[in-house]
Order: sequence, then structure tokens, then C-alpha cells
Amino acid sequence: MTGPGLFPKMNGTRWGLSVVAIALFAAFPLIYNGQYVLSVMVTTMVLIVLNASWNFSLGVAGVWNFGQLAIYALGGYGAGILMLHAHLPQWICILLGAAFGALVSVIMALPTLRLFGIYTSLLTFAFAEIVQYAILNDGSGLTGGSYGFPMVNGLFDSMSPDGQMRANYWLVLAVIVITTISLAAITQSSLGIGLRAARDAPAYAASRGLSPIKMRLAAFAISGFLGGLAGALYLVIEQSISPSAMGLTAMSIDVTMLVIGGLGTNLGPIIGTAIVSIVQALLVTHPGVELTVVGIVLLVVVVFAPGGLVGVGSDLIGRVGSWVDEDDVAPAATEPTPAAVGTSSTGGTDVAE
Amino acid sequence: MTNVVGILVTTIILGSIYGLVAIGMTLIYGALRILDMSQGSMVMIGGFVGWAILVSASWNPVLAILIAFAATFILGTLTELVSVQTLMNKRGGIDFEMVTFITTFAVAMILENVALEIFGPQQRNVTPVISGGINIYNGIYLPWQEVAMALVSIALMGGLGLFLARTRWGMAIRAVAQNLDAARLMGVPVNRLYPLTMGLASALAGVAGVFLGSLYFASPTAGDLPLLQALIVVIFGGLGSLAGTVWAAYLIGLIQATTQVLIGDTWALPILYAIILIVLIVRPQGLLGKPAEARL
Repeated sequence: MTGPGLFPKMNGTRWGLSVVAIALFAAFPLIYNGQYVLSVMVTTMVLIVLNASWNFSLGVAGVWNFGQLAIYALGGYGAGILMLHAHLPQWICILLGAAFGALVSVIMALPTLRLFGIYTSLLTFAFAEIVQYAILNDGSGLTGGSYGFPMVNGLFDSMSPDGQMRANYWLVLAVIVITTISLAAITQSSLGIGLRAARDAPAYAASRGLSPIKMRLAAFAISGFLGGLAGALYLVIEQSISPSAMGLTAMSIDVTMLVIGGLGTNLGPIIGTAIVSIVQALLVTHPGVELTVVGIVLLVVVVFAPGGLVGVGSDLIGRVGSWVDEDDVAPAATEPTPAAVGTSSTGGTDVAE
Repeated sequence: MTNVVGILVTTIILGSIYGLVAIGMTLIYGALRILDMSQGSMVMIGGFVGWAILVSASWNPVLAILIAFAATFILGTLTELVSVQTLMNKRGGIDFEMVTFITTFAVAMILENVALEIFGPQQRNVTPVISGGINIYNGIYLPWQEVAMALVSIALMGGLGLFLARTRWGMAIRAVAQNLDAARLMGVPVNRLYPLTMGLASALAGVAGVFLGSLYFASPTAGDLPLLQALIVVIFGGLGSLAGTVWAAYLIGLIQATTQVLIGDTWALPILYAIILIVLIVRPQGLLGKPAEARL
């Protein structure tokens, strides 16, 4: 496995199932027209992009990064400030917002290189708190402070409200598909194998010639770009963003989504985000009950299925038939690394050079 | 001069209460090697116990402290049984520190939202444990409430130190902290020791909660800020080092008091975070932490 392939390696059945699932989701707004359900789905799908990006640094690279929501918010704010003040096309602003997320993420990763575990989480979390504080107390009018960002135009303002909803839905769906395929391909590439090796056996990986510094910076750049992209998408779809998007409650729910789905797996963020969002939507009138249920589910999943629902799923499928690609299961939940490091020794070194 | 006295008094009071909340986390990390995210909820529950005893039942404040101690001791023990003990036999195959971080976090989420369902989101005033106060210097007014808080905190921290140094169970906790396998081989009952440790730590946070509740409010989210502050103190002092935690608590109290008096209350927390960022970059293992523990 040298270099990232354009598409992740999967067998025919899984490709077929994926294409059918994508086609069903793409057709959904043509058949169903309930605006409330569609808007909840679009919001959930933006969260999927965010959680997929976070999963890459937290799950695949195994860095205790709790600053991802700050990157998300900064992507949104960065794109918004460009939209209001730079007179660039909105598409460019969104991409520049994502690039800004990547830049900030790399800067945030630099001081974490000497730390590990819980120290990393506190440092990244402190960074996020400072960003939130700076935005909340910004008196210059650039970010709108605690009132939220001034309204920006939607991407599809010329269309009817129904059409806007559909266009947003398809846009985010396309982003999810591209994000998931690229992240899966990166996870299977030498970079991904190196990251997982450094996560599970840091000393061994380093002694085999992998540079933890370069790999971690690359992981944070990728994760930050997608996180910033999610923030910019949130901004143009909701037409605003506020500091509460990066608050402690939002972070707790996002972590829950990742763990329930399966940390470090490709499908985990999608499944976890969908399930928790459905629970939230069903219990929306009882905020206390809603999060209690989410907390209990989180506890049960971690204790009985540390690999998350994706881990359980592939276990079951693996027992029924043997067609599940074993790459998809979180390595943390299964075998430790010597095998993974062994396979990366050919492709892994070129990352370190 | 007025400023200096004000800063010193605030430092002692803030530092004592930070120390009381954070020392439980250090104790748990030292003995169990887990970071207990449910400690903030114990502070919150202590606040509600204080409210229930002092306001609803208008009983004796000493009773409030004792009941809060007992209630959070039991809850802490249960938390350990649910979120740590269930994972003990899987210890080899998983990232124990990360998984228990998540399970205790889930317990915190459950406790906080059960409290939200029972008590509702509003903030409740808790009557001071002791009313009145004293004018100490040039217009600096010191409520007895805060004096009592500092004294009780210092007494409890000292008591914990004695407990760890002198009693059989205390020595067992220290033995486990030093070497889990060796302690097991010497016959330390780890499966009973872990719940005891976590119950004890939670009870300290619960007592802190009674005082914090009457100082600020009792509300379902009242534990969030103390949890963050305790995390900062614990990491600043070096994870697992009790002496480091006490030093860090007063040092952070000093930083916060200085910021409050000289710059303003709203800047206290961000300046604290900025200092933590710098400390972690310069000295990743904290004040008294062991370097080998924090580096690869």
C-alpha cells in the first residue's frame, strides 16, 4: 500500500451497498417534503462532517484533541467574515474557511507534540475556551460577539424555500460522501497506517522510522480542513453561527456520537451522529430526559461494546459471513499493533522522510 | 496595601476551595489511574443537598455537611462500581484511561440531567452556612461563610493527609498508587479499595459543593466550572501528586485573585487558561509531576 489510492479498497458487496444507500438518501427529498424533518436531517448531516473530521484526529490518530469545536467555529467565522467583507464568491469563502481551519488546527497541534493523553486534552480544551471567550467578548463587531454572527446570504437564495432545502441537503450529502471516501482512503494509505501505529505503539512506531511530528501535523491539517469545512457549511446553511456552537454541551454530545458509533472507524461518525440525533429529535420536549438517555446509552456502549456500534455490527456480520473487510474495525478494540506496524514498514517510511 | 490584603485573603479562600475540589481528583488519579469527570457532578449534588437541608428543611448546617458527605460518598462508590469496576477485567485490551474518562463523563452527564429533570434549570439560592462577617482591613469585608469554607477545606485536606499517612486503608491506597501489582500480591483488596477511594474523593467534592452552593447557587450545571477549575489545578500540579495539587490550588487562587482585583472578574478564567497553555508548553508534567510519566 504505497500512497493514498483514490478510492478505499472495499469488496464489491460493500461498494454495492454503499452506492444503494447513497442513492436512497439522495432520492429522499424528492419523495418526502416535510420541511421540519429535512431541516433536522441537514443539521445532522453537517454534524456528520464535523464528527468525521474529529474522528480522524481523535479516533484514527488517537490524539486527545478537544479543540475541534473551536476549529469548527473558526471555519464558520472565517468564511463568514470573508463573505461579508471580501466580496469573493461564496464557494471560495467556504473553501478559504476550511483552509483557515486547517491552519489553526496545525498551530494548535504544535504545542501538543510534547504532551500526551489527558495533558493534550486540557491544552486543546484550554485553546477552545480562549477562542470562545475571545469571540464572546469581541467588541469590534467583526464576529457579532455573544449575539452571533451577522446574517449571511444562503448559497441558494434565488430558489424557492423548498428548493433551497433540497439544494442544501444534496450539497451536504455530497460533502459527506466525498469526506468519507477520502478519509477512508487516507486511513488505508501509508499515512493512515502510520498514524494508527503511532497511536497504538508510539515507541515502536517511532523506532521503525515513522516521524510522529510530521504525521501528527498532517493528521491535524486534514482534520482541521474538514472541521473548518463543516463550520463554513453550518454558516451558509443556518445563515449564522454563534459561540454556543462550540460550547461544552455541544462538545459532550459530539463525543457521545463518536463513541456510540465507534471511535476510529469510517462509518462510526455517520451511524453515531444519526442515532443520537434521532434520540434527540424524539425527546426534544424533555431536555433532561434526552441527555440522560444519551448518557446511559454512552455508558452501556462503552462498557459492553468499546468498539461502538460499528464494532458490534462488524462482529455480528463477521460471524454470519466472512465478507466484512477487517480494516473497518477499530484496531484499538481488536488486536494491538505489531501486525499493523509490520505492514506499514514498506509504505510507512516514505511518510517519515 | 488594601489591594495586597484583598488579594491575600481571596487567595487563601479560593485556594482552599480549589484544593478541596481538586484533591479528590488527584487521589483518584493517583490510585486508580483514571481521570474522574464525575467530580463536578458531586459538587453539584453537594449544592442541592445543602439547598434541601438548609432551605427546604432548615436544619443545622453541620448536618447539611454530614449528609452531603454521606450522599456523595455513596454516589461516588456507585459511580466506581458502574463506570470503572465493569471495565476492570478488560483492562488489558483497551485504553483504560480513555475509556474510564468517557464512562465517568457519561455518569456526569446522567447525574446532571437527572438533576435537571428533578429540580429544573433555575438557580437556587442557598442560605449561608454561617451568616455575618468581619471588617478586617480598610473596608475589606470577610463573611464568616468564606472563613468557615477555608477552614473546613484545610481541615479536610489535612485529615485526608493523615488518613493516607496513618491508617491501614490510607496506606493501602498509597501502595496501590505506587505499584498496583505489588500491592495486589501483598493482599491489598483492590476491588474494595477502588470504590472506597472514589467514594472518599467524591465526598470531599460534595462538601465543597455545600459551600460553593451557598456562595453562588445550586443548579444542575453548577458542577461544570468547578470541574474545569479542578482539572486545571490537577494538571498544573502534576497528575497524581497530592502536594503538587495543594500548591497548584493556592497558586491558581493567587493568579485568579490578582486578576480579579487588578483587572476584573471576567478576565480571571481566560487568563488562567492562557497561563495553563504556557505552563503545559514549557513544563508538560506540571509543577511536581514526574517527567517520565508525561513524556513518551
